[in-house]
Amino acid sequence: MEQIASHPAAGQKKALPGDFAIWIFIYAELLVFGIFFLAYAYTRAQHVELFNTYQQHLNRESGAINTLVLITSSYFVVMAVAAIRRGAAGHCTRWLILAVLSGSVFVWIKLAEFAAKHAEGITLSTNTFYMFYLSLTFFHFMHVLMGMVILSVVALKAYRGAYNAQEHTGVETGASYWHMVDLVWIILFPLVYVLH
Amino acid sequence: MKYQSQAVAKPYFIAAIGLFVGQILFGLVMGLQYVMGDFLFPEIPFNVARMVHTNLLIVWLLFGFMGAAYFLVPEETEHELHSPLLAKVLFWVFLVAGALTVLGYLLVPYARLAELTMNDLLPTMGREFLEQPTITKIGIVVVALGFLYNIGVTILAGRKTVVSMVLLTGLVGLAVMFLFSFYNPINVVDDKFYWWWVVHLWVEGVWELILASILAFVLIKVTGVDREVIEKWMYVIIAMALISGIIGTGHHYYWIGAPEYWQWWGSIFSALEPIPFFMMTVFAFNMVNRRRREHPNKAAVLWALGTAVMAFLGAGVWGFLHTLAPVNYYTHGSQITAAHGHMAFYGAYVMIVLTIISYAMPILRGQEAADPRAQVLEMWSFWLMTVSMVFITLFLTGAGVLQVWLQRFTDNPQPFMVVQEKIEVFYWLREAAGLVFLLGLILYVAAFFVKGGERVMASNAVADTA
Amino acid sequence: MDVSTRRALQVWLALVVLTLLTWAVGRAGLGGGPVIAGILLSVAVKGQMVADVFMGLRAVRSPWRWMVSGWLLMVLALIGLAFFTGET
Repeated sequence: MEQIASHPAAGQKKALPGDFAIWIFIYAELLVFGIFFLAYAYTRAQHVELFNTYQQHLNRESGAINTLVLITSSYFVVMAVAAIRRGAAGHCTRWLILAVLSGSVFVWIKLAEFAAKHAEGITLSTNTFYMFYLSLTFFHFMHVLMGMVILSVVALKAYRGAYNAQEHTGVETGASYWHMVDLVWIILFPLVYVLH
Repeated sequence: MKYQSQAVAKPYFIAAIGLFVGQILFGLVMGLQYVMGDFLFPEIPFNVARMVHTNLLIVWLLFGFMGAAYFLVPEETEHELHSPLLAKVLFWVFLVAGALTVLGYLLVPYARLAELTMNDLLPTMGREFLEQPTITKIGIVVVALGFLYNIGVTILAGRKTVVSMVLLTGLVGLAVMFLFSFYNPINVVDDKFYWWWVVHLWVEGVWELILASILAFVLIKVTGVDREVIEKWMYVIIAMALISGIIGTGHHYYWIGAPEYWQWWGSIFSALEPIPFFMMTVFAFNMVNRRRREHPNKAAVLWALGTAVMAFLGAGVWGFLHTLAPVNYYTHGSQITAAHGHMAFYGAYVMIVLTIISYAMPILRGQEAADPRAQVLEMWSFWLMTVSMVFITLFLTGAGVLQVWLQRFTDNPQPFMVVQEKIEVFYWLREAAGLVFLLGLILYVAAFFVKGGERVMASNAVADTA
Repeated sequence: MDVSTRRALQVWLALVVLTLLTWAVGRAGLGGGPVIAGILLSVAVKGQMVADVFMGLRAVRSPWRWMVSGWLLMVLALIGLAFFTGET
């Protein structure tokens, strides 16, 4: 990060893991999702009945399973970073592949959910609740895909020996992004599927 | 000048400035017509003056972008331009086509112009900013293709830098988005979609890439900061600009007949559009503060910093003012839009072109920087134009707020023309500020003609010590 | 297994338990003020664990860490406020 801006070191605390540029992204993404969540919450306050009714029609089980899947894949990514810090590039690669595979499980479950809604003829224009449900989950879905691309690239580079115990900024960068995707879903699931 | 072929940029810059002067003159005519409706009637009616004002802006900015590309690409790629001759030929084609089109606007009624240019065969005329006759549009595409070929081959043959790749992406995008202007659907909603895909995806999409790459180039040159640092910033800024800008197109869909969810998508994403502009401001000042050399061209540094600040204010802040759907419900199409349009175009695109001209022109004329006296004059013109543009924006904002208040956000809305009379004072003030702007522009042009005499030696001496 | 990976495993386990709890609340059809407050609190705990342990922000100097924690708390607090105003 020192390449972008220099900050005086404070105590023995470290700089952000990974490339500073990804953190600018992460903060911006958190801002967008935050605004989206609050838009949902405050629009719901105007239409409590509507939101409570249609929330019952969501597939809560697939939402919960997807939460577990993302949490687990985040754990795999943590293990990948720990592995490369020890210099174990092979382990790192395997953990990353596991993370990407879990990501694809998320994607399949999500696609099945979208397909079910689509089959019921539900679109963005059906009602305000579905507008938010589809917008929020689809927007997050795109981030999962993006995160999987990033992790795949990192895994490939790790496999080719681009990282070692001293230099592994790329792994931390991809990991940070993936955790953000996880963090956002941790709020999204209860907010949209459960809270009423 | 490191590469001989960079010289082809010079006529482009000169033409840009010439058309800029024309644009401002027509702006002043229109500004007066706001308060004296029959001024110059019937020779130059308001709608014609407006068309010339906006079309000249677009054409001279395109001249500026092309000149910038011809100057910047050989230096970035470390390779002579593929064909300087093609660049010269296209310059004259574009200039003649542009001049004929403007003459067409001024000399023949618009409907007659459409007839003469056989608009019936492929109707594309009659849309704001895209009023050009179809043959002119085809000409623009031909010029753009030749230009992209020339630049593209040069980049492929030479060193590939982030700056030149981003510039090329922006320029290709500019050409591609323009193709939407050839489709003119009967359905009014469709029509608005296609129109915005040119207008919005230009100024809040691909043009931002051009802006970022030119700014990065000038900053690399005048600050001597490592290219890698500047490139990383560029990536982040551009990614943010594209994400917020492309989905942010939704802020034009609120009231045109598009589905309601666009009010949410448009509001949320376009609310983020100031972020990349803010980052650009931080970036520019950061780079200048960390400069490793004192470049003798102080005026260019001033323009570069000015671009970053004014783009943030005009595009970022003034855009945000009316981008949220509940606000825009009352403000769309009012003088607030005009205020935003003026400052955003000036701050982002006029100033970036003036930045690259300020940096490149002395080099094209065989000096590293202009004579200090000329630079002082140029800086005066910077402040006069920039401050007067701030005032134009403030006056128009005042007019817009009052307009919305009396005509829309009220239980007893007053008729349009009644309101227009009540906000007349703002229009007069805006016209006065416009005259100051013209004065600044005259000084800007004059700065090119300041004779250095022995001071040329002095400026060279400054350059040598730097 | 060293300290940091054991800690990550503990966090993973805690996240799973809290998620299952949230799901059970949803399945039981529970709602209303106390339930909402409880779930939001559990989300705050989950989010902070992800930020501190998974993202590794606990070891990061303050403004950067607090920007994530602050975002989390503010968003959850405002969501809570919105649900509270919606109920009454």
